[in-house]
Amino acid sequence: MSLAELIGRDPDATTLKLWLEKIPYAVYLGMEAELHDNDILFRLPPDDKLIGNASLPAIHGGVVGAFMELAGSIHLVAHMKKPVLPKIINFSLDYLRASRLQDTWARCEVIRQGRQIANVTVTAWQEDPANPNATARAHFLIAEPENSKENSNVPLET
Amino acid sequence: MNSLTLEEKLRVVKMMGEFIPHTSGLGVELHSIEDGELTLRLPYQQQLVGDAETGVLHSGALTVLLDQTLGLSAVCSNDIAPSVTPTLDLRIDHLGIAPPGSDIFATGKVLRATRKILFVDGFAWCDAPDKPIARATGTWVRVMDIDLEWIKSMGRGSA
Repeated sequence: MSLAELIGRDPDATTLKLWLEKIPYAVYLGMEAELHDNDILFRLPPDDKLIGNASLPAIHGGVVGAFMELAGSIHLVAHMKKPVLPKIINFSLDYLRASRLQDTWARCEVIRQGRQIANVTVTAWQEDPANPNATARAHFLIAEPENSKENSNVPLET
Repeated sequence: MNSLTLEEKLRVVKMMGEFIPHTSGLGVELHSIEDGELTLRLPYQQQLVGDAETGVLHSGALTVLLDQTLGLSAVCSNDIAPSVTPTLDLRIDHLGIAPPGSDIFATGKVLRATRKILFVDGFAWCDAPDKPIARATGTWVRVMDIDLEWIKSMGRGSA
């Protein structure tokens, strides 16, 4: 089953796992997703290959961002009931503290979903959700497939 | 004031890169340092693909490359002493899509440095620097200067 077909399904734990398995980069990062009370919690397990600062050791800041970006897009797909793969327009990331080599979690919220654009925020933490390691905001283009194909290289000119 | 020569900058960037397991594992390497501008290269690889059907790299791989390039570009600035600089924030605009199979280059340059904060701009490109696929802007915090004498002594050892 293709990723496009998979995203037409409701996001139960099995579907989320299948989505992640269809994205090579998510597999490389080792990312997982769990359903908690109808909300999706994303997890990035610690892995030596993700280290950015060997002396702390800390996870590479870019990896934390990439994990949050993936979480945001999957969360959006799961909540929009529209079989479209979101295309990222831009991504803005605030780093609040270094991420140690341990489980990193992310939770997302769709702030607004318009006809073509969605605004999604992502919060990542390690031990306590109230003390986040990073927060992010992403804009995604969620135009229908026939439109998004034409505009794939110029996401804003729609 | 940065009294590093080009050769010393090249050595520091290479050395710092080797201390970053994630990106050295991905084969991110120094491409060039020119006029205070640093360019790194990320080789195309299947494991970083975001869409298996098209082979296009995931935008997150660009985030990693741009974070690293803009952060390390602090070492290449002619206006400031090299320092340890964690990222405060980073914003990326995705202007286009990296062609499948292409290596990605990222270029970063310190726009302005204050005593504590570095304002850095950059962009990512594949075919040519004047055809960017992403632009980035961010701020880095100067937490501690790197010992210049130590950097210079490393060079003497190998010369």
